[in-house]
Amino acid sequence: MVDYFALALSHGLLVLAGLKLLARQDLDADPAPPQQGEEPDEPPARRPKPELRLRA
Amino acid sequence: MLDLAITGFTLAFLALGLRKPFVWVLAFIYIDILTPQKISWSLLASLPISLIAFVLAFGGWIALDDKRDTRFTLRQGLIVLLLVYCGLTTMMAEFQTEAAEKWSWVWKALLFAIFLPLTLRTRLRFEAVVTVIVLTIGGILITGGIKTAAGGGGYGLLRTFVAENAGIYEGSTLSTMAIAIIPLIWWVARYTTLFPQRRLVLLFAAALTFAALLIPVGTQTRTGLLCIGLLGVLALRSVKRRFLYLGVAGAVAVAAVPFLPDSYMERINTIENHKSDQSASTRVAVWMWTLDYVKDHPFGGGFDAYRGNNLQVETVKELGPDNNAKLDVQVHEEKARAYHSAYFEMLGEQGYPGFLLWAWIHFLGLWQMERLRRRWGKEKAEHLAWIAPLANALQMAQLIYLLGALFIGIAFQPVMFMLIAVQCGLWSYAKRIGAPARQPLRTGPPPLRVSAA
Repeated sequence: MVDYFALALSHGLLVLAGLKLLARQDLDADPAPPQQGEEPDEPPARRPKPELRLRA
Repeated sequence: MLDLAITGFTLAFLALGLRKPFVWVLAFIYIDILTPQKISWSLLASLPISLIAFVLAFGGWIALDDKRDTRFTLRQGLIVLLLVYCGLTTMMAEFQTEAAEKWSWVWKALLFAIFLPLTLRTRLRFEAVVTVIVLTIGGILITGGIKTAAGGGGYGLLRTFVAENAGIYEGSTLSTMAIAIIPLIWWVARYTTLFPQRRLVLLFAAALTFAALLIPVGTQTRTGLLCIGLLGVLALRSVKRRFLYLGVAGAVAVAAVPFLPDSYMERINTIENHKSDQSASTRVAVWMWTLDYVKDHPFGGGFDAYRGNNLQVETVKELGPDNNAKLDVQVHEEKARAYHSAYFEMLGEQGYPGFLLWAWIHFLGLWQMERLRRRWGKEKAEHLAWIAPLANALQMAQLIYLLGALFIGIAFQPVMFMLIAVQCGLWSYAKRIGAPARQPLRTGPPPLRVSAA
Protein backbone atom coordinates (compact mmCIF):
# COMPACT_ATOMS: atom_id res chain seq x y z
CA MET A 1 0.00 0.00 0.00
CA VAL A 2 2.81 2.39 0.96
CA ASP A 3 4.64 1.43 -2.22
CA TYR A 4 1.56 2.22 -4.28
CA PHE A 5 1.22 5.62 -2.63
CA ALA A 6 4.90 6.48 -3.16
CA LEU A 7 4.81 5.33 -6.78
CA ALA A 8 1.57 7.23 -7.46
CA LEU A 9 2.87 10.46 -5.90
CA SER A 10 6.30 10.44 -7.55
CA HIS A 11 4.95 9.32 -10.92
CA GLY A 12 2.07 11.82 -10.74
CA LEU A 13 4.61 14.61 -10.30
CA LEU A 14 6.75 13.21 -13.10
CA VAL A 15 3.71 13.26 -15.41
CA LEU A 16 3.00 16.86 -14.40
CA ALA A 17 6.62 17.85 -15.05
CA GLY A 18 6.56 16.05 -18.41
CA LEU A 19 3.36 17.78 -19.54
CA LYS A 20 4.66 21.20 -18.53
CA LEU A 21 7.91 20.49 -20.30
CA LEU A 22 6.13 19.74 -23.55
CA ALA A 23 4.23 23.01 -23.33
CA ARG A 24 7.41 25.05 -22.98
CA GLN A 25 9.29 26.54 -25.90
CA ASP A 26 12.54 27.14 -24.04
CA LEU A 27 13.48 23.45 -23.75
CA ASP A 28 15.58 23.51 -26.90
CA ALA A 29 16.80 27.13 -26.84
CA ASP A 30 17.13 29.62 -24.01
CA PRO A 31 15.00 32.73 -24.48
CA ALA A 32 17.00 35.87 -25.34
CA PRO A 33 18.32 37.47 -22.12
CA PRO A 34 16.38 40.58 -21.10
CA GLN A 35 18.02 43.87 -22.12
CA GLN A 36 19.12 46.26 -19.40
CA GLY A 37 16.14 47.97 -17.79
CA GLU A 38 13.75 45.45 -19.28
CA GLU A 39 11.79 43.11 -16.97
CA PRO A 40 12.19 39.42 -17.82
CA ASP A 41 9.09 37.53 -18.83
CA GLU A 42 7.65 35.78 -15.80
CA PRO A 43 6.85 32.91 -16.07
CA PRO A 44 9.05 31.97 -19.07
CA ALA A 45 7.53 31.73 -22.48
CA ARG A 46 4.77 29.20 -22.83
CA ARG A 47 3.02 28.06 -25.90
CA PRO A 48 -0.12 30.25 -26.27
CA LYS A 49 -3.35 28.51 -25.40
CA PRO A 50 -5.66 27.87 -28.35
CA GLU A 51 -8.43 30.40 -28.60
CA LEU A 52 -12.02 29.44 -27.88
CA ARG A 53 -13.91 28.59 -30.98
CA LEU A 54 -17.67 28.88 -31.14
CA ARG A 55 -19.56 26.49 -33.25
CA ALA A 56 -22.10 27.94 -35.54
CA MET B 1 -2.59 -3.27 -11.80
CA LEU B 2 0.83 -1.99 -10.64
CA ASP B 3 2.45 -3.88 -13.48
CA LEU B 4 0.12 -2.24 -16.00
CA ALA B 5 0.59 1.24 -14.51
CA ILE B 6 4.41 1.06 -14.47
CA THR B 7 4.54 -0.41 -17.97
CA GLY B 8 2.09 2.19 -19.28
CA PHE B 9 4.01 5.03 -17.64
CA THR B 10 7.38 3.92 -19.01
CA LEU B 11 6.06 3.42 -22.53
CA ALA B 12 4.21 6.76 -22.41
CA PHE B 13 7.44 8.44 -21.25
CA LEU B 14 9.21 7.03 -24.28
CA ALA B 15 6.32 8.02 -26.57
CA LEU B 16 6.54 11.67 -25.40
CA GLY B 17 10.04 11.73 -26.87
CA LEU B 18 8.48 11.71 -30.32
CA ARG B 19 7.47 15.34 -29.70
CA LYS B 20 10.60 16.46 -27.87
CA PRO B 21 13.55 14.08 -28.30
CA PHE B 22 15.21 15.40 -25.12
CA VAL B 23 12.49 13.55 -23.18
CA TRP B 24 14.28 10.31 -24.14
CA VAL B 25 17.28 11.48 -22.14
CA LEU B 26 14.97 11.98 -19.15
CA ALA B 27 13.37 8.57 -19.75
CA PHE B 28 16.77 6.90 -19.61
CA ILE B 29 17.56 8.63 -16.30
CA TYR B 30 14.22 7.45 -14.88
CA ILE B 31 14.72 3.88 -16.09
CA ASP B 32 18.34 3.67 -15.00
CA ILE B 33 17.61 4.85 -11.45
CA LEU B 34 14.27 3.22 -10.68
CA THR B 35 14.66 0.09 -12.84
CA PRO B 36 10.90 -0.19 -13.52
CA GLN B 37 11.64 -3.47 -15.35
CA LYS B 38 12.39 -4.98 -11.92
CA ILE B 39 9.16 -3.64 -10.38
CA SER B 40 7.11 -4.87 -13.32
CA TRP B 41 6.92 -8.59 -14.01
CA SER B 42 5.48 -8.95 -17.51
CA LEU B 43 6.14 -6.88 -20.64
CA LEU B 44 8.77 -4.48 -19.22
CA ALA B 45 10.68 -7.30 -17.57
CA SER B 46 11.09 -9.02 -20.92
CA LEU B 47 12.21 -5.92 -22.87
CA PRO B 48 15.76 -4.46 -22.85
CA ILE B 49 14.07 -1.19 -21.87
CA SER B 50 17.22 0.52 -20.59
CA LEU B 51 19.05 -0.16 -23.86
CA ILE B 52 16.03 1.01 -25.89
CA ALA B 53 15.91 4.29 -23.93
CA PHE B 54 19.66 4.84 -24.39
CA VAL B 55 19.51 4.20 -28.13
CA LEU B 56 16.55 6.58 -28.46
CA ALA B 57 18.26 9.27 -26.36
CA PHE B 58 21.52 9.03 -28.30
CA GLY B 59 19.81 8.63 -31.69
CA GLY B 60 17.48 11.55 -30.97
CA TRP B 61 20.43 13.77 -30.12
CA ILE B 62 22.44 12.72 -33.18
CA ALA B 63 19.58 13.08 -35.62
CA LEU B 64 17.44 15.90 -34.29
CA ASP B 65 19.19 18.07 -31.70
CA ASP B 66 20.94 21.37 -32.32
CA LYS B 67 24.67 20.93 -31.67
CA ARG B 68 25.92 24.48 -32.13
CA ASP B 69 26.26 25.08 -28.38
CA THR B 70 27.68 21.65 -27.61
CA ARG B 71 31.15 21.55 -26.05
CA PHE B 72 33.28 18.61 -24.95
CA THR B 73 34.83 19.24 -21.54
CA LEU B 74 38.08 17.99 -20.02
CA ARG B 75 36.24 15.88 -17.45
CA GLN B 76 34.27 14.11 -20.18
CA GLY B 77 37.66 13.30 -21.73
CA LEU B 78 38.81 11.89 -18.40
CA ILE B 79 35.68 9.72 -18.22
CA VAL B 80 36.46 8.45 -21.75
CA LEU B 81 39.95 7.50 -20.53
CA LEU B 82 38.49 5.80 -17.46
CA LEU B 83 36.03 3.89 -19.66
CA VAL B 84 38.80 2.66 -21.97
CA TYR B 85 41.06 1.79 -19.04
CA CYS B 86 38.31 -0.17 -17.26
CA GLY B 87 37.63 -2.02 -20.52
CA LEU B 88 41.30 -3.06 -20.67
CA THR B 89 41.42 -4.20 -17.03
CA THR B 90 38.21 -6.18 -17.61
CA MET B 91 39.90 -8.08 -20.44
CA MET B 92 42.79 -8.94 -18.13
CA ALA B 93 40.71 -9.40 -14.96
CA GLU B 94 41.56 -12.09 -12.44
CA PHE B 95 37.89 -13.11 -12.19
CA GLN B 96 36.67 -12.95 -15.77
CA THR B 97 33.01 -13.89 -15.28
CA GLU B 98 32.40 -11.56 -12.32
CA ALA B 99 34.36 -8.73 -13.95
CA ALA B 100 32.30 -9.03 -17.12
CA GLU B 101 29.12 -8.84 -15.06
CA LYS B 102 30.17 -5.59 -13.37
CA TRP B 103 31.47 -4.17 -16.66
CA SER B 104 28.01 -4.77 -18.18
CA TRP B 105 26.54 -1.88 -16.15
CA VAL B 106 29.65 0.23 -15.53
CA TRP B 107 30.22 1.04 -19.19
CA LYS B 108 26.63 2.24 -19.55
CA ALA B 109 26.96 4.56 -16.56
CA LEU B 110 30.24 6.01 -17.89
CA LEU B 111 29.02 6.33 -21.48
CA PHE B 112 25.87 8.12 -20.33
CA ALA B 113 27.98 10.49 -18.21
CA ILE B 114 30.02 11.34 -21.32
CA PHE B 115 26.87 11.83 -23.38
CA LEU B 116 24.54 13.74 -21.01
CA PRO B 117 26.50 17.05 -20.89
CA LEU B 118 26.27 17.29 -24.68
CA THR B 119 22.50 17.62 -24.40
CA LEU B 120 22.43 20.17 -21.55
CA ARG B 121 22.19 23.39 -23.54
CA THR B 122 19.40 25.32 -21.83
CA ARG B 123 18.35 26.21 -18.30
CA LEU B 124 15.12 24.24 -18.69
CA ARG B 125 17.09 21.11 -19.56
CA PHE B 126 19.10 21.41 -16.35
CA GLU B 127 15.85 21.86 -14.43
CA ALA B 128 14.28 18.86 -16.13
CA VAL B 129 17.24 16.53 -15.50
CA VAL B 130 17.63 17.48 -11.83
CA THR B 131 13.85 17.29 -11.29
CA VAL B 132 13.64 13.81 -12.80
CA ILE B 133 16.59 12.60 -10.67
CA VAL B 134 15.02 14.07 -7.52
CA LEU B 135 11.52 12.74 -8.19
CA THR B 136 12.70 9.28 -9.22
CA ILE B 137 14.87 8.82 -6.14
CA GLY B 138 12.13 10.68 -4.25
CA GLY B 139 9.68 7.83 -4.89
CA ILE B 140 12.09 5.41 -3.19
CA LEU B 141 12.61 7.87 -0.32
CA ILE B 142 8.87 8.34 0.24
CA THR B 143 8.19 4.62 0.59
CA GLY B 144 11.34 4.09 2.70
CA GLY B 145 10.57 7.08 4.88
CA ILE B 146 6.97 6.08 5.58
CA LYS B 147 7.95 2.49 6.37
CA THR B 148 10.67 3.71 8.74
CA ALA B 149 8.29 6.13 10.47
CA ALA B 150 5.83 3.25 10.89
CA GLY B 151 8.50 1.22 12.69
CA GLY B 152 9.73 -0.93 9.81
CA GLY B 153 13.23 -1.45 8.51
CA GLY B 154 16.44 -2.77 9.98
CA TYR B 155 19.95 -3.39 8.65
CA GLY B 156 19.49 -4.92 5.20
CA LEU B 157 15.75 -5.24 5.85
CA LEU B 158 14.15 -2.01 4.62
CA ARG B 159 12.39 -3.12 1.49
CA THR B 160 11.39 -0.40 -0.98
CA PHE B 161 10.23 -1.09 -4.55
CA VAL B 162 12.70 -3.81 -5.45
CA ALA B 163 13.46 -6.78 -3.21
CA GLU B 164 17.13 -7.10 -4.16
CA ASN B 165 19.77 -5.36 -2.04
CA ALA B 166 21.73 -3.98 -5.01
CA GLY B 167 22.32 -0.73 -6.90
CA ILE B 168 20.56 2.27 -5.43
CA TYR B 169 18.31 -0.12 -3.47
CA GLU B 170 21.25 -1.34 -1.34
CA GLY B 171 20.82 0.07 2.18
CA SER B 172 24.09 2.01 2.64
CA THR B 173 24.07 3.27 -0.94
CA LEU B 174 20.49 4.44 -0.62
CA SER B 175 21.15 6.24 2.64
CA THR B 176 24.21 8.03 1.20
CA MET B 177 22.48 9.04 -2.01
CA ALA B 178 19.31 10.04 -0.09
CA ILE B 179 21.31 12.54 1.94
CA ALA B 180 23.39 13.61 -1.08
CA ILE B 181 20.34 14.69 -3.07
CA ILE B 182 18.83 16.83 -0.27
CA PRO B 183 20.65 19.97 -1.55
CA LEU B 184 19.29 19.21 -5.04
CA ILE B 185 15.75 18.82 -3.67
CA TRP B 186 16.03 22.37 -2.34
CA TRP B 187 17.54 23.69 -5.54
CA VAL B 188 14.54 22.32 -7.45
CA ALA B 189 12.14 23.76 -4.86
CA ARG B 190 13.66 27.22 -5.08
CA TYR B 191 14.64 27.60 -8.70
CA THR B 192 12.51 25.40 -10.91
CA THR B 193 10.15 27.13 -13.29
CA LEU B 194 8.41 23.81 -13.98
CA PHE B 195 6.36 23.97 -10.77
CA PRO B 196 5.46 27.60 -10.09
CA GLN B 197 3.26 26.92 -7.01
CA ARG B 198 6.10 27.82 -4.67
CA ARG B 199 4.37 27.06 -1.35
CA LEU B 200 3.24 23.57 -2.35
CA VAL B 201 6.68 22.83 -3.77
CA LEU B 202 8.41 23.98 -0.57
CA LEU B 203 6.05 21.81 1.49
CA PHE B 204 6.82 18.80 -0.69
CA ALA B 205 10.56 19.52 -0.47
CA ALA B 206 10.35 19.64 3.35
CA ALA B 207 8.45 16.33 3.45
CA LEU B 208 10.90 14.70 1.02
CA THR B 209 13.86 15.95 3.06
CA PHE B 210 12.32 14.42 6.19
CA ALA B 211 11.84 11.12 4.34
CA ALA B 212 15.47 11.26 3.15
CA LEU B 213 16.71 11.86 6.70
CA LEU B 214 14.73 8.82 7.86
CA ILE B 215 16.44 6.50 5.36
CA PRO B 216 19.69 6.06 7.38
CA VAL B 217 17.49 5.21 10.39
CA GLY B 218 15.38 2.75 8.37
CA THR B 219 18.39 1.07 6.82
CA GLN B 220 20.30 1.35 10.12
CA THR B 221 23.47 2.41 8.38
CA ARG B 222 26.24 4.25 10.18
CA THR B 223 27.48 5.81 6.95
CA GLY B 224 24.15 7.59 6.47
CA LEU B 225 24.43 9.21 9.89
CA LEU B 226 27.92 10.53 9.07
CA CYS B 227 26.51 11.92 5.82
CA ILE B 228 23.75 13.74 7.74
CA GLY B 229 26.44 15.26 9.96
CA LEU B 230 28.42 16.46 6.94
CA LEU B 231 25.27 17.87 5.33
CA GLY B 232 24.61 19.80 8.54
CA VAL B 233 28.10 21.31 8.45
CA LEU B 234 28.06 22.07 4.71
CA ALA B 235 24.67 23.77 4.99
CA LEU B 236 26.35 26.39 7.19
CA ARG B 237 27.98 27.77 4.05
CA SER B 238 24.65 28.34 2.36
CA VAL B 239 22.19 29.42 5.07
CA LYS B 240 21.64 33.13 5.66
CA ARG B 241 20.96 33.05 9.43
CA ARG B 242 23.69 30.80 10.74
CA PHE B 243 22.97 31.11 14.45
CA LEU B 244 19.27 30.42 13.97
CA TYR B 245 20.17 27.42 11.82
CA LEU B 246 22.61 26.08 14.43
CA GLY B 247 20.00 26.43 17.19
CA VAL B 248 17.22 24.75 15.21
CA ALA B 249 19.48 21.97 13.89
CA GLY B 250 20.81 21.26 17.38
CA ALA B 251 17.31 21.20 18.88
CA VAL B 252 16.03 18.85 16.15
CA ALA B 253 19.02 16.50 16.63
CA VAL B 254 18.48 16.34 20.41
CA ALA B 255 14.72 15.88 20.02
CA ALA B 256 15.20 13.08 17.47
CA VAL B 257 17.40 10.87 19.67
CA PRO B 258 14.58 9.43 21.88
CA PHE B 259 12.69 8.39 18.75
CA LEU B 260 15.59 6.39 17.28
CA PRO B 261 15.20 2.60 17.60
CA ASP B 262 17.47 0.89 20.16
CA SER B 263 18.92 -1.40 17.53
CA TYR B 264 20.10 1.66 15.59
CA MET B 265 21.67 3.25 18.67
CA GLU B 266 23.58 0.01 19.33
CA ARG B 267 24.87 0.04 15.78
CA ILE B 268 25.87 3.71 16.00
CA ASN B 269 27.89 2.98 19.16
CA THR B 270 30.10 0.61 17.20
CA ILE B 271 31.49 3.64 15.30
CA GLU B 272 33.38 4.59 18.48
CA ASN B 273 34.27 1.05 19.43
CA HIS B 274 34.93 -0.42 16.00
CA LYS B 275 37.37 -3.09 17.22
CA SER B 276 34.52 -5.07 18.77
CA ASP B 277 32.52 -5.00 15.56
CA GLN B 278 33.30 -7.73 13.07
CA SER B 279 31.92 -5.78 10.11
CA ALA B 280 34.19 -2.77 10.84
CA SER B 281 37.24 -4.94 11.60
CA THR B 282 36.74 -6.84 8.36
CA ARG B 283 36.73 -3.56 6.44
CA VAL B 284 40.03 -2.50 7.94
CA ALA B 285 41.50 -5.94 7.14
CA VAL B 286 40.29 -5.73 3.50
CA TRP B 287 41.77 -2.24 3.13
CA MET B 288 45.16 -3.45 4.39
CA TRP B 289 44.95 -6.40 2.01
CA THR B 290 44.17 -4.01 -0.89
CA LEU B 291 47.22 -1.85 -0.13
CA ASP B 292 49.40 -4.95 -0.29
CA TYR B 293 47.61 -6.21 -3.40
CA VAL B 294 48.11 -3.02 -5.38
CA LYS B 295 51.85 -3.09 -4.63
CA ASP B 296 52.04 -6.38 -6.55
CA HIS B 297 49.39 -5.37 -9.13
CA PRO B 298 49.91 -1.64 -9.80
CA PHE B 299 47.48 -1.73 -12.75
CA GLY B 300 44.74 -3.40 -10.68
CA GLY B 301 43.17 -6.81 -10.82
CA GLY B 302 40.03 -5.86 -12.75
CA PHE B 303 36.49 -5.71 -11.40
CA ASP B 304 35.76 -7.85 -8.33
CA ALA B 305 39.47 -8.54 -7.69
CA TYR B 306 38.60 -8.66 -3.97
CA ARG B 307 37.32 -12.21 -4.51
CA GLY B 308 40.88 -13.40 -4.17
CA ASN B 309 41.31 -12.20 -0.59
CA ASN B 310 41.67 -14.48 2.42
CA LEU B 311 41.76 -12.58 5.72
CA GLN B 312 42.38 -13.18 9.39
CA VAL B 313 40.13 -10.72 11.19
CA GLU B 314 40.67 -9.96 14.86
CA THR B 315 37.88 -8.59 17.07
CA VAL B 316 38.48 -7.35 20.60
CA LYS B 317 35.59 -7.16 23.08
CA GLU B 318 35.74 -5.76 26.59
CA LEU B 319 33.97 -8.00 29.11
CA GLY B 320 33.14 -6.97 32.66
CA PRO B 321 33.21 -3.55 34.39
CA ASP B 322 35.23 -0.66 32.88
CA ASN B 323 37.89 -0.58 35.63
CA ASN B 324 38.50 -4.32 35.53
CA ALA B 325 37.66 -5.30 31.98
CA LYS B 326 38.77 -8.55 30.44
CA LEU B 327 39.68 -8.40 26.76
CA ASP B 328 38.15 -11.16 24.70
CA VAL B 329 40.16 -11.51 21.47
CA GLN B 330 38.68 -13.63 18.71
CA VAL B 331 40.10 -14.38 15.29
CA HIS B 332 37.77 -15.06 12.37
CA GLU B 333 38.68 -16.22 8.93
CA GLU B 334 37.06 -14.26 6.09
CA LYS B 335 37.21 -14.94 2.37
CA ALA B 336 36.29 -12.86 -0.70
CA ARG B 337 35.21 -9.86 1.35
CA ALA B 338 34.19 -6.78 -0.69
CA TYR B 339 36.12 -3.51 -0.42
CA HIS B 340 33.48 -1.53 1.47
CA SER B 341 35.11 1.64 0.22
CA ALA B 342 35.05 3.22 -3.22
CA TYR B 343 38.63 4.45 -2.81
CA PHE B 344 39.97 0.95 -2.12
CA GLU B 345 37.63 -0.45 -4.76
CA MET B 346 39.28 1.79 -7.37
CA LEU B 347 42.75 1.02 -6.07
CA GLY B 348 42.30 -2.75 -6.00
CA GLU B 349 40.31 -3.08 -9.22
CA GLN B 350 41.86 -0.38 -11.41
CA GLY B 351 45.26 0.10 -9.79
CA TYR B 352 47.04 3.44 -9.44
CA PRO B 353 46.11 4.82 -12.92
CA GLY B 354 42.40 4.06 -12.48
CA PHE B 355 42.36 5.46 -8.97
CA LEU B 356 44.10 8.67 -10.08
CA LEU B 357 41.70 9.15 -13.01
CA TRP B 358 38.67 8.63 -10.78
CA ALA B 359 40.03 10.98 -8.10
CA TRP B 360 40.89 13.58 -10.76
CA ILE B 361 37.33 13.45 -12.14
CA HIS B 362 35.94 14.05 -8.65
CA PHE B 363 38.33 16.67 -7.35
CA LEU B 364 38.24 18.65 -10.59
CA GLY B 365 34.45 18.66 -10.17
CA LEU B 366 34.69 20.07 -6.65
CA TRP B 367 37.06 22.77 -7.87
CA GLN B 368 34.92 23.68 -10.90
CA MET B 369 31.77 23.94 -8.78
CA GLU B 370 33.64 26.19 -6.37
CA ARG B 371 34.68 28.42 -9.28
CA LEU B 372 31.07 28.60 -10.47
CA ARG B 373 29.81 29.42 -6.97
CA ARG B 374 32.17 32.36 -6.76
CA ARG B 375 31.79 33.59 -10.33
CA TRP B 376 27.98 33.48 -10.45
CA GLY B 377 27.14 33.92 -6.77
CA LYS B 378 26.44 37.61 -7.04
CA GLU B 379 24.18 37.37 -10.08
CA LYS B 380 20.74 38.70 -9.22
CA ALA B 381 19.16 38.54 -12.69
CA GLU B 382 16.44 35.87 -12.71
CA HIS B 383 17.83 34.12 -15.79
CA LEU B 384 21.30 33.74 -14.19
CA ALA B 385 20.62 33.50 -10.43
CA TRP B 386 20.11 29.70 -10.57
CA ILE B 387 23.66 28.84 -11.69
CA ALA B 388 25.64 29.37 -8.45
CA PRO B 389 23.03 27.59 -6.26
CA LEU B 390 23.05 24.60 -8.64
CA ALA B 391 26.86 24.48 -8.51
CA ASN B 392 26.63 24.67 -4.71
CA ALA B 393 24.05 21.85 -4.51
CA LEU B 394 26.09 19.64 -6.86
CA GLN B 395 29.25 20.29 -4.84
CA MET B 396 27.49 19.42 -1.58
CA ALA B 397 26.03 16.26 -3.11
CA GLN B 398 29.49 15.25 -4.31
CA LEU B 399 31.15 15.90 -0.93
CA ILE B 400 28.48 13.82 0.84
CA TYR B 401 28.97 11.06 -1.72
CA LEU B 402 32.75 11.19 -1.26
CA LEU B 403 32.28 10.78 2.50
CA GLY B 404 29.85 7.88 2.11
CA ALA B 405 32.20 6.35 -0.47
CA LEU B 406 34.84 6.00 2.26
CA PHE B 407 32.79 3.11 3.67
CA ILE B 408 30.85 1.75 0.68
CA GLY B 409 32.05 0.36 -2.64
CA ILE B 410 30.14 2.81 -4.84
CA ALA B 411 32.89 4.10 -7.12
CA PHE B 412 30.73 3.62 -10.23
CA GLN B 413 27.33 4.47 -8.70
CA PRO B 414 25.33 5.57 -11.80
CA VAL B 415 23.45 8.37 -9.99
CA MET B 416 26.75 9.97 -8.98
CA PHE B 417 27.99 9.77 -12.55
CA MET B 418 24.75 11.49 -13.64
CA LEU B 419 25.50 14.30 -11.17
CA ILE B 420 29.07 14.48 -12.52
CA ALA B 421 27.57 14.80 -16.00
CA VAL B 422 25.32 17.66 -14.82
CA GLN B 423 28.45 19.33 -13.38
CA CYS B 424 30.23 19.00 -16.73
CA GLY B 425 27.17 20.41 -18.51
CA LEU B 426 26.90 23.32 -16.07
CA TRP B 427 30.62 24.14 -16.38
CA SER B 428 30.34 24.19 -20.16
CA TYR B 429 27.04 26.15 -20.12
CA ALA B 430 28.33 28.80 -17.71
CA LYS B 431 31.55 29.17 -19.71
CA ARG B 432 29.56 29.69 -22.89
CA ILE B 433 27.10 32.26 -21.58
CA GLY B 434 29.77 33.96 -19.48
CA ALA B 435 32.17 34.45 -22.39
CA PRO B 436 32.22 37.98 -23.79
CA ALA B 437 30.49 38.33 -27.14
CA ARG B 438 32.93 37.90 -30.02
CA GLN B 439 34.02 41.03 -31.87
CA PRO B 440 32.87 41.10 -35.48
CA LEU B 441 35.59 40.43 -38.02
CA ARG B 442 37.22 43.57 -39.39
CA THR B 443 36.74 44.05 -43.07
CA GLY B 444 38.59 47.33 -43.68
CA PRO B 445 42.34 48.00 -43.56
CA PRO B 446 43.98 47.90 -40.13
CA PRO B 447 44.16 51.29 -38.41
CA LEU B 448 47.46 53.09 -38.74
CA ARG B 449 49.59 53.08 -35.64
CA VAL B 450 52.13 55.80 -35.12
CA SER B 451 54.81 55.02 -32.63
CA ALA B 452 57.05 57.60 -31.08
CA ALA B 453 60.51 57.29 -32.43
